[in-house]
Amino acid sequence: MKTYPRVLTGLIVLAGLVGCSSEPRTVTMHEPGVYKGAKDPLLAQREQQQMLIDRFKLVQTDR
Amino acid sequence: MKTFRKKWLQRTSREIHSPKSLSRRTFLIRGSVALGSGAVLGLLPLSCVRKATEEERKNFPLPDVKTEYRRTICTHCSVGCGIIAELQNGVWTGQEPDYDSPLNLGAHCCKGAAARSHGLGERRLKFPMKLVNGAWVRLSWKQAIDEIGDRLLKIRAESGPDALFFCGSSKASNEGAYLQGKFAALWGTNNVDNQARICHSTTVDGVANTWGYGAMTNSYNDMRNSKAMLFLGSNAAEAHPVAMQHILRAKEDGSKMIVVDPRFTRTAAHADIYARLRSGTDIPFIYGLLWHIFKNGWEDKEYIARRVYAMDQIRREVEKWPPEEVENVTGVPKEKVFEIAQTMAKNRPGTIIWCMGITQHHMASHTTRLFCVLQLALGNIGVSGGGANIFRGHDNVQGATDVGPNCHTLSCYYGLAEGSWKHWCRVWSLDYEWVKSRFDMTRQYDAGGGKTAYTMNMPGIPVSRWIDGVLEDKANLSQRDNLRAVIFQGMACNSQTRGVEMKKALEKLDLLVISDPFPTHMAVMSDRKNDTYLLPTCTQYETYGSATASNRSLQWREKVIDPLYESLPDHVILYKLAKKLGFADELCKNIKVTNDEPLIEDLLREINRGAWTIGYTGQSPERLKLHAQHRRTFDPRTLKAEAGPCKGDYYGLPWPCWGKPEMKHPGTPILYDPSKPVAEGGLVFRANWGMDYNGQSLLAGGVYSKGSELKDGYPEFDAEILKKLGWWDDLTPEEKKEAEGKNWKTDLSGGIQRVVIKHGCAPFGNGRARCHVWTYPDPIPVHREPLYTPRFDLVKKYPTYPDRKAFFRLPTRYASIQSVDHSTKYPLIFTSGRLTEYEGGGEEQRSDAWLAKLQPEMFAEVNPKDANNAGISDGQYIWLEGAEGGRIKVRAMVTQRVGPGTVWTPFHFGGWFQGKDLYEKYPQGTAPYTRGEACNTATTYGYDSVTQMQETKATLCRITPA
Amino acid sequence: MARMKFLCDAERCIECNGCVTACNNEHDVPWGINRRHVVTLNDGVSGEKSISVACMHCTDAPCAAVCPVDCFYTTPDGIVLHDKDLCIGCGYCFYACPFGAPQFPEGNAFAERGKMDKCTFCAGGPLPDNSVEEYRMYGRNRIAEGKLPLCAEMCATKALLGGDGNIVSEIYIQRITKRGGKSQAWGWETAYHFKPAKEKNP
Repeated sequence: MKTYPRVLTGLIVLAGLVGCSSEPRTVTMHEPGVYKGAKDPLLAQREQQQMLIDRFKLVQTDR
Repeated sequence: MKTFRKKWLQRTSREIHSPKSLSRRTFLIRGSVALGSGAVLGLLPLSCVRKATEEERKNFPLPDVKTEYRRTICTHCSVGCGIIAELQNGVWTGQEPDYDSPLNLGAHCCKGAAARSHGLGERRLKFPMKLVNGAWVRLSWKQAIDEIGDRLLKIRAESGPDALFFCGSSKASNEGAYLQGKFAALWGTNNVDNQARICHSTTVDGVANTWGYGAMTNSYNDMRNSKAMLFLGSNAAEAHPVAMQHILRAKEDGSKMIVVDPRFTRTAAHADIYARLRSGTDIPFIYGLLWHIFKNGWEDKEYIARRVYAMDQIRREVEKWPPEEVENVTGVPKEKVFEIAQTMAKNRPGTIIWCMGITQHHMASHTTRLFCVLQLALGNIGVSGGGANIFRGHDNVQGATDVGPNCHTLSCYYGLAEGSWKHWCRVWSLDYEWVKSRFDMTRQYDAGGGKTAYTMNMPGIPVSRWIDGVLEDKANLSQRDNLRAVIFQGMACNSQTRGVEMKKALEKLDLLVISDPFPTHMAVMSDRKNDTYLLPTCTQYETYGSATASNRSLQWREKVIDPLYESLPDHVILYKLAKKLGFADELCKNIKVTNDEPLIEDLLREINRGAWTIGYTGQSPERLKLHAQHRRTFDPRTLKAEAGPCKGDYYGLPWPCWGKPEMKHPGTPILYDPSKPVAEGGLVFRANWGMDYNGQSLLAGGVYSKGSELKDGYPEFDAEILKKLGWWDDLTPEEKKEAEGKNWKTDLSGGIQRVVIKHGCAPFGNGRARCHVWTYPDPIPVHREPLYTPRFDLVKKYPTYPDRKAFFRLPTRYASIQSVDHSTKYPLIFTSGRLTEYEGGGEEQRSDAWLAKLQPEMFAEVNPKDANNAGISDGQYIWLEGAEGGRIKVRAMVTQRVGPGTVWTPFHFGGWFQGKDLYEKYPQGTAPYTRGEACNTATTYGYDSVTQMQETKATLCRITPA
Repeated sequence: MARMKFLCDAERCIECNGCVTACNNEHDVPWGINRRHVVTLNDGVSGEKSISVACMHCTDAPCAAVCPVDCFYTTPDGIVLHDKDLCIGCGYCFYACPFGAPQFPEGNAFAERGKMDKCTFCAGGPLPDNSVEEYRMYGRNRIAEGKLPLCAEMCATKALLGGDGNIVSEIYIQRITKRGGKSQAWGWETAYHFKPAKEKNP
């Protein structure tokens, strides 16, 4: 019965490989100067406010 | 604290749909709601508060539906505000400010801000209708056109083509207005007119006769450069609200704002100096200013010496107007007159602004000329910040004046002489003899002044007088028969005087056709029972084309929405009618027609091909569309594009835009400004009256536009002059062929204009502005008391004209009216004016819920003194009776806004007649939300001695409690 | 942090009602309701002045202080809004408001008014931005679209300014400086506890 340990070894190796490939990638790769985190609500608000300021200058200022 | 005024007549909400609830009319003082601690809610009438219904909220924007944008131009006044319309699935769902427009910079008054309500169109006339035994019956378009056409042809056969009066519109686009004029010409009559007659005809004629063109010389925007601004008979804050943006900015920069008006207007509220003068005494007032100017040597002597003719004759007239006499006649204290003269003299350049407070008088053509003379004396014409800034009324009244239907001239001021007809026949590619055959050539008629003429070469009956064309004994008319049919396309009859006689005229007509988005006052004011047709006509938001703003800029309108209900645009209706009448092919010979719709672009191209006199030749549809697209690139102060695809152009190519479009003339932002080359928008005064008169030169002396090869005055150009100057060979062979024997106005190749401008000259010559107009009844303006004057004691000294027998085909009365003292029975001056919320006859705005709720009722402003004398209290109904017996029932608003002795009413109301609400007479569902007495039911006779402008601003009335 | 404010420059206001109509157009408020008014003082006589008035979106809004059901809330931009689902139409806010802003559209008898309605600074209400429901109850939400109140954006003479308070003040101060007049930022003291700059000591 030489095949049994061979199959077993094969299965273990396979399982190990499968385990490797299905591992979820939760690591965020770092790049300098680029923020990759979740969306900041304050940031969105600031964008909105900048939009309103730009709009004010476009429409309501004396030209 | 008085916090309310005209809005204290807040009408209640439920009443708008039902006349029965009128008895529940309640008023509230809105000001106190807004201002104080506001504990008046409990006082609100309950009918004022109502649940918002679903129908009221329609056409609103939906999420997740694609929004499209269209750009158009506001159809309410001549400022020319851009409008951005938002559409979803073809429905007008929203409006955004057009902040890129250099004219309005996104701003709107209430009318512009309400433009979207046109997309709701609840009160619109929905399908063609006719009166059958007093009831409105629905028709198909085919039926309507066939029946109208058959009746017109019958009348033509019996009474000739002059039995029709066709009123076109300054609310039409240039293309529509042009086609209206052409339609009448090919029908064979000069009995065609538009609102311009009763708007600024006296300006157009008086000013053109002074220096060449009768239009606003500068622009609203250029007023920012003014150091002084004198408003006479102009209430810009209400009539041209967005113009105030430029005006108030000038004021903030230190410009002195002066308002002279019988009424303390909302414009006066912003003025540095306000003077109240008696209605109809503008000529003495200006002479009063000139008296101080000449006495103190404030006149611009060099300017006068080089550019003006006959100022010395003005000086002689000025001597008759010492300060005491000016004060006696005008009522303005002499110190004030001096202060205004000094302010104008010490703050140059200064501009003068006038509107209908000036133009609607029986001597107004002379008043407008004298305003020009004042500006010439101060050297204020042809400079930035100066000018005669004549604010026009309707959105396209400038365009309709220029290209549109007028009874005294063909398109673009060509006149009615044989040569003029031949010029346009060439443009139309029509045989002159055929066009002639369309007219009544059976005999000549009395043309006045001892002359006779065929009707083809004689001014037609003007819109101010159409009622006399109907009612006058036909033996007294200079045409074959009375007017028997009247078509009004885009005109409100309540804007014309003598409403009581108008009712009679309407009832006498064989055929009445009203082509309008709304039924109008005209459909309901008379007791006609039959032969009355209503043609639903769409607004300019439902079609496209160009419109000319007051500053002579042409702007392109995009179509916003499809025509509502069964309505059709003006030009489609005209084509259908012409088809029925048998001249559609001639009408559109050079114009592509698809499904009865003449192509707008082709119409403009035809105008371009013929309009050499005033330079409507360079504004091709392509160039106008390009300007619309790149409007942001134009500077709001100069209107010039310094960069971008329109580089060098002025916004909207303000006319004259010389030569063919390919010549790329940039337009003329300021008329008669010699500091620029003609090729870049410079100009000199027009030489339109020969080389000299009475031994004095009429050509400019040593003044010329920058870069001109001729360094002195010169006459207008023609082929012969070009040859003499050795410029003939600058023409191409094709141009030579066309230009031979022609002049700058008739050369269809544009070669003469091109070459002349290349040499730095103005095609129309380089002349002097003239103070003496020898063709006028008064060559030098003189004061003439109103026909109905409260100062009968002055009539002897300042009488009106003798009656005239044949003037615009009609007898016209002057002295026979003035010779009677009407002031004993009618002691108060009656004058009229504008409200911000409404415009013209007001049909459009009174049918708009957003605007109607702001001005819910007709009223008359009465000074507290006169109110007390008549026993009238604020808010009560009164009878206002005009000096010819017309009576209107209106609310009294007791206010010091008007001086003692003056009663003022707005002129936009209609739908009532002598105390009776005509609600029941409108086709179902079309009565405007607000109705009221038309002030012109009570106005009286009186017509300008040059243009037949009606007198609305100085007549008499009396008031009694109702 | 931006703080939204309204300012009406009385030297420029010409009482044209453009703002009132722009508001009607944008929100289609029913007849009988005006979220904005133009008030004229000294009408028809020397010294006539007009100002456009609506909810000023006060700091420490008095309407919110008196509301028994606490339906008011202030956005991070300083815009005072209210929740019509909570409003009981009691009218206390109307009495508290120094500007007469709250309006009551419905109701058949006194003390039985419907939901209060007022200027939202074109910012809608608590419902999802620019949903049909939000439009029906509060009107259009321009702020969410990156635009400012239409009344100010369409003002005929740029008398009415609406937007970030700092820019509004900046523009107004520039105008005052040019005109040489004194600051009359109408309603600002009441709404924003704003004190006009005192003259400096020499």
